[in-house]
Amino acid sequence: MNTNSMSYKCKNFLMFAGVTTIIFAAVVIIPFLYGLYLTFTSWDGVSANKPFVGIANYLSTFSDAAYWQALGRTLIYSLIAVVLVNVVAFTLAFLVTSGVKGQNFFRAGFFIPNLIGGIVLGYIWKFVFNRAFVAIGNALSIDAMSTSWLATTNGAMFCLIIVSVWQYAGYMMLIYVAGFMSVSEDVLEAARIDGCTNLQSIVHISVPLMVSSFVQCLFLTVTRCFMVYDVNLSLTNGEPFNSSVMAAMHVYNQAFTYKNYGTGQAEALILFIVCAVVGVLQVYIGKKAEVSA
Amino acid sequence: MDDLNAKAARDRKIRHTVEIVVLIILFFCFIFPFILVIINVFKVKADITTNPLSLIGEHGFTLKNFPEAMEKMNFWRSFGNSMIVTVSATVLTILFASMTAFVIVRNNWKACGALFGLMIASMVIPFQVLMIPLVSLYGGVLGILNHRATLIFMHVGFSLSMATFMFHGAIRTNVPIALEEAATIDGCTKWQTYWRIVFPLLKPTIATVAIIDAMAFWNDYLLPSLVLGRKELYTIPIATQIFYGTYSTDIGLVMAALLLAMLPILILYLFMQRYIVEGVTAGAVK
Amino acid sequence: MKKKLLAVSLVAAMTLSLTACGGNGGGGGGDTSAGANAADGKVAITIFNSKIEVQEQFEEMAKEYSASKGVDVEVYYSNDTVAAHMATRYSSNDPYTLSMVDAKDIYSLAKEHAVDLTGEEWIDKTDYEISVDGKVVGFPVCIEARGLIYNADAVKTVTGKDFNPDEYKTLDAFQGLLEELVAGGMAAPTGVMKEDWSLGGHYLAEVYEEQPDVNGFVSSLYAGSADLANNAKWNSMMDTFDTLLKYNYAANSPIAAEREISEQKLAEGEIAFMFGGNWDWSMINAYDYTENMGMMPLPQNTDDGSNEKLVGGGSKYMFIDSSDNTSDAQREAAKDFLNWLVLEEEGNKFLTEKCALVPAYSNISADSLDPLSKSVKKYADEGKLIGNYDYLPDDHFSRCGASIQKYMAGQTDRAGLAAEIESYWSSTTPVAQ
Repeated sequence: MNTNSMSYKCKNFLMFAGVTTIIFAAVVIIPFLYGLYLTFTSWDGVSANKPFVGIANYLSTFSDAAYWQALGRTLIYSLIAVVLVNVVAFTLAFLVTSGVKGQNFFRAGFFIPNLIGGIVLGYIWKFVFNRAFVAIGNALSIDAMSTSWLATTNGAMFCLIIVSVWQYAGYMMLIYVAGFMSVSEDVLEAARIDGCTNLQSIVHISVPLMVSSFVQCLFLTVTRCFMVYDVNLSLTNGEPFNSSVMAAMHVYNQAFTYKNYGTGQAEALILFIVCAVVGVLQVYIGKKAEVSA
Repeated sequence: MDDLNAKAARDRKIRHTVEIVVLIILFFCFIFPFILVIINVFKVKADITTNPLSLIGEHGFTLKNFPEAMEKMNFWRSFGNSMIVTVSATVLTILFASMTAFVIVRNNWKACGALFGLMIASMVIPFQVLMIPLVSLYGGVLGILNHRATLIFMHVGFSLSMATFMFHGAIRTNVPIALEEAATIDGCTKWQTYWRIVFPLLKPTIATVAIIDAMAFWNDYLLPSLVLGRKELYTIPIATQIFYGTYSTDIGLVMAALLLAMLPILILYLFMQRYIVEGVTAGAVK
Repeated sequence: MKKKLLAVSLVAAMTLSLTACGGNGGGGGGDTSAGANAADGKVAITIFNSKIEVQEQFEEMAKEYSASKGVDVEVYYSNDTVAAHMATRYSSNDPYTLSMVDAKDIYSLAKEHAVDLTGEEWIDKTDYEISVDGKVVGFPVCIEARGLIYNADAVKTVTGKDFNPDEYKTLDAFQGLLEELVAGGMAAPTGVMKEDWSLGGHYLAEVYEEQPDVNGFVSSLYAGSADLANNAKWNSMMDTFDTLLKYNYAANSPIAAEREISEQKLAEGEIAFMFGGNWDWSMINAYDYTENMGMMPLPQNTDDGSNEKLVGGGSKYMFIDSSDNTSDAQREAAKDFLNWLVLEEEGNKFLTEKCALVPAYSNISADSLDPLSKSVKKYADEGKLIGNYDYLPDDHFSRCGASIQKYMAGQTDRAGLAAEIESYWSSTTPVAQ
């Protein structure tokens, strides 16, 4: 059999990836292209006619200061959240694979936050920050906790980061756990015999072998943080004074609340490009690391 | 030698104790919101507002949040809908994504590269970009909204990229190509090799993807709210939207609904965890 | 074994998706909604309700209405903003037969999507209907008004006298009362909502609405020629706002005040005053409230008469979909429904007793309203309502509300706030009227 012939390739590709390609194209690619077309119209979202306006929407994007502020804010938030999520997740993964009693129980516990959807989760945390923490603060007369953190600019950002870490750390922990488990016991045993301490064997053996876990986790956290919406909506709703509006929320408001559909779509596209560049860069660097490891 | 062993054992014991303490502290941080939920779900709204930390409110212990939430969200119907959508979409995603990842990893064809590249890129498309085009095309042009199958189809479409990405990593690192070559020599076709050799080896990843996707489908709000415009099709997240909003949040009902909605997925997780724990196929080839 | 497992799960998945397709009876797909008839040949209509506080009442009514009138009614609610939700429903060709939206949405949706209701019987009985291009398109659901909510019991407990809101029309008089309350032991007699829709959409809007020439003033804002800082109304409203902030129970962190907590304090008499509207009753009544509450005009040191009136009018409008997705039979059923609300006793009862809404129709009497709505009705009946300005830009409440939040947090002063609001207006495209 000639595994190089076109027909062999076609047959195999379709057999394994045919359905995927169709569904993927139908659900993601085609709507995306249609959305791209809409950025060249001044559609208001409800009207039947979609007047073609060329690049006007992109031009108004550049003069939309609030958008660029939101994007900058998202960058800062993502940077901090990504680092913290991964540090916490990695630590958790290490702790729950170190053979302590009840590690399965802990794994389940840390994962629990993921079982709730973003919107509800935001409301619960809002309740925690606004009511529970304040009640604790008042009861113990801790000044820093006697008013809600959500009411200050930095506080709201801080709360968003806390919730993101809380939400994603358990999820990323899973991937790191899988990474830890894929490092074979024999290698670690050999290292131990050679006199490696625990820390040394993590740094020198486990981590290099887990590069693919890192790539996955970083990619996932970066993209998720960039596109954060649910929690942003239900936890801060952009408050105080629109200082916690992230890029996705701005896009949504622009398109639907302020009814500049075309501009919103154009801004979403720019957000997409930023995400894509960061994501691809990150995977590319990760792959290089993996090859050299 | 005995001394050394004893010392090592003692060290390990100390280390484990420290680890356990750290774990317990972290664990408490992680479940703190849930403790609050459980405390407050048995209180009436006025008591929740007055003192969120008290165990029992002035108006006493109440169970009424549960039946009220269940009735308002039409719990069993929503539960059934969520179940159908989640199970079907998860199973289909796993099948299609793992197959796709297999063909992509093992072949250096242009089509594979293109598909995988597009998929990776699509993972960073904010959903807001696709929202209106999606309803315009599927509702306006095709007119097939308001079917569970449409929602399942879209769920699968949106989750394929990520699942393929995860299977891609797993196949590349954890499925030894030597096994496949051996199977081919034994006369297996690619199709047979895949199902007999590769797919079973992917169990840990399957479990992970299953959990992650099932959760995403179970909890998703935005997409179902766009696709399912008929009450008899509502999934749990859409059915509970009435409990919270811009102008008011009935936190007692939100909490009750949250607990009710969480249970099935929690059970699934505890069940699946066994497979995740089983670990990756370390040492399949020695 | 593995293969078997796989085969089983495959089959299961397929079956499930099939049942998913097949089991989707009832409502049918978006494409079949034209002339949607329920299984038993009844006409079926859908209503979109955007007032969450009456959702339960609407659902109950739908059941009864369906049973007695032979028209299947289903009521929907969405968490999205009204405009966003309408956008998705229209782009998916799946609109509601009857949609309840805000006045500004009527203006943007009516031209293309609303049925001409001119000549309907209920129009003679209301002053609040909305017309676009000379055609009546918006059915007013109720009257709502904004003002200062008071808890008379709370005042009486401290002062020992019955509270008469008419005595506190001016800010000076009001301030005197607040001092008296503080001296009597009520540490902080007021609450101020921090929500942007309340600050920007409701409070700030009164600055425009109470101008002698509203349209002229708004045009001058757009043109950048308005001088807010030296505008009498602006300063008078801000003086009142400052007073409310000064006595605010959450004065140390005003933008942390949660609406639920403020409403509870007001209901239970821990505070006595809060700016709001009669819709706030749906939150107040979740707590241990007193019936001795009501609404009064915002106290202002002014003689233009605005301190004797509430601000409000028709609120929430229904329109009937005019697209091909709705059949004539459905449109007729929808018209019948609107007539039922206004012209039949059952419908009246539903509006005023079940939903506790202030009727926008002269023929409907309302005796069992909640205390806040009673006040609103009293002012409306006496002709003491300053009308809503329905043409604020869509992002006004959010952007200007944010500026006021900054002011509350002490990050800007009155002049800075005026400047921010002026710059918002001058950089915004005017709303077409």
